[in-house]
Amino acid sequence: MKNRQTWCSVLIVLLCMLRVNVANAHAVVTEYSLKLKPIHAQQADHIEISFNSKIELGLSQIYLVSKGDKHALLTVEMGHKQGQIIISVPALEAGEYAIRFKVFAADGHLTEDVIHFTVS
Amino acid sequence: MAGIADFLDSLIGGFDLICYSFLMGGLFWGVFVLRPWSNSNTYNPLLLDKTIGLIYQGGFLLAAAQIFKIVLKIWLMTAVLERWPFPEFADTTQFIGGIIRAALTLIVSAYVYFVLRKHAFSKQHWWLACVVSLPMVISGAWLVHAAGRFDNRAFLMTFTVFHQLGAAAWVGGVLQLGNVWKLHKQQSIAIENWPQLLKVFSKFGMISVCFILLSGLPIALQYIDTLNALVGTGYGNLLMVKVVLLSLALGCAWLNRTAMLAYFANKQTSALFKRVPHYVEAETLVLITLLFTAASLASQPPAIDIPLLTASWQEVLNTFNPQIPQTTSPSHVALIAGEAGRVAIINQVPSLAATEWSNYNHNIAGLFLTVMSFFAMLSYTTKLPFTKYWPLGFVGLGIFLFFRSDAETWPLGPIGFWDSTFNNGEVLQHRIATLLVFLLGLFELTARITKNPLSKLPYFFPILSAFGGLMLLTHSHVGFQAKSAFLIQVGHTTMGIFALILSCGRWLELKLDKPGKDIAGFISVAALFLIGVILMFYREPLY
Repeated sequence: MKNRQTWCSVLIVLLCMLRVNVANAHAVVTEYSLKLKPIHAQQADHIEISFNSKIELGLSQIYLVSKGDKHALLTVEMGHKQGQIIISVPALEAGEYAIRFKVFAADGHLTEDVIHFTVS
Repeated sequence: MAGIADFLDSLIGGFDLICYSFLMGGLFWGVFVLRPWSNSNTYNPLLLDKTIGLIYQGGFLLAAAQIFKIVLKIWLMTAVLERWPFPEFADTTQFIGGIIRAALTLIVSAYVYFVLRKHAFSKQHWWLACVVSLPMVISGAWLVHAAGRFDNRAFLMTFTVFHQLGAAAWVGGVLQLGNVWKLHKQQSIAIENWPQLLKVFSKFGMISVCFILLSGLPIALQYIDTLNALVGTGYGNLLMVKVVLLSLALGCAWLNRTAMLAYFANKQTSALFKRVPHYVEAETLVLITLLFTAASLASQPPAIDIPLLTASWQEVLNTFNPQIPQTTSPSHVALIAGEAGRVAIINQVPSLAATEWSNYNHNIAGLFLTVMSFFAMLSYTTKLPFTKYWPLGFVGLGIFLFFRSDAETWPLGPIGFWDSTFNNGEVLQHRIATLLVFLLGLFELTARITKNPLSKLPYFFPILSAFGGLMLLTHSHVGFQAKSAFLIQVGHTTMGIFALILSCGRWLELKLDKPGKDIAGFISVAALFLIGVILMFYREPLY
């Protein structure tokens, strides 16, 4: 009996060692407006991003990343198309930036990703 | 603690599917294979009691897993979003659907425990249990990959549920077969129960596999639109892993069926009672790995959604291209100097030192394994006594990996041991793999030098290598470059399959008689050699 308990303990420890995957990449960006409509310096603007999945906006965060990897939280609203969000971007200096998002998809996966863009 | 939450969140998907198989597969087993109402003279109450026990235990564990999933989501979101996720989370499909499914699972389990257990020979009660489980099965549709899709949502949700049911029927049946063999060994059931149930399950298993394929194919065609997407994306790659694992499991099933047919044709008992139980054990191992791979697949973006991030088949093939192993490493100082640029978001600079550091780790690990497999082969074919110490190589490899896996963390880097282990899922995974390799060496070495013929130590090697294989199959490098991450993943998943073959081969070598024993042992060592070769040629993309 004691032997069996030892084996069970070993199996439980082993089960706890299992690694399946990092829930990092189910909702992915399918298109974004920066490709067609770049952001210009000193002008507040909007960026539209479409995902392949329904997004829970209340559980998502979108950041503007600027030089030195400084993060600023941006305001976001749902777009008119399915899976689309609209991000309000403040007036920016010319330079390299990125949109970093943490979104919660309807299928329960948290996704983090980055879109780089240039303001000129 | 986000690393642990992330780790457990990924683990719970596979565990959920195993419990689901115990519950639903057990009910199918009762209704279609066991059919106690028409075999009441053949089965004793203990067989029914143990069968139903597995069903309700699986059900209660499934309900607990469902609740735990929600707790983990809350934990993970709190860590990632750095705030309490309520009240928003309470309105999500995942929360509402999860709570409903847990409640419905509890109802099914309670019915099986309180009612079916007391009417184990009643056809009406078995069918009623299936009817009671129906709302739970349907509710699961809102918790799958397809629930968040825009196109063909209902179709994909429905077929995913069918696919899950097919898998549960097969896996649950194999788990029940294991239970029957256990009772047979204890001489608690009639001797003819084992061959009879194998015969019925053989047909039922084939129908289940057809069901899995017929429901899985339309889903695959919806998520993977080109042949290149099958080869060049994480989703396609894991699907191919599932197909390979399915083939391995079918191979075991074929061996079982051949032995069963031989028994009923000319009463050949040796295969049925000496080999089939161990084929069933190997099949169980493969199927459990398959379920965890299926759970892992659900966290990958469908190939159809990432055409611009799909690798070409040439790029995939190139990851296996033979080349001279890298035997010199960049200095730790050079590696750390490049890390800030590599992990930066703005003005990111790929680090050559990081890539070469990783190549060196993989290539040296490959050399360790290739040399070990060479000595392992010699230990079977010659009388050189020192070759039996080949598992010492795992101990050395464990120590090597401990220092080299995560250079930015303790003992070489500035990030502390506990901080890095529990706040980074990838570091946690590497630490576990390192411990696994070290223990693998210690157990196998002790097993091979022990004089005790009844020692259980030899079984640690196949068990630990199976779990190692499972980790490789589901290995994920967190990063923002999905294509680079995939090109890393493809080598790891191939090694994961070989690790599973290594494990099953060794398990069968320990369990079977000759000549099957020798064949399984050779396959096992050959798989170790192939893992070594893949690692020796490993080249990481620059990112």
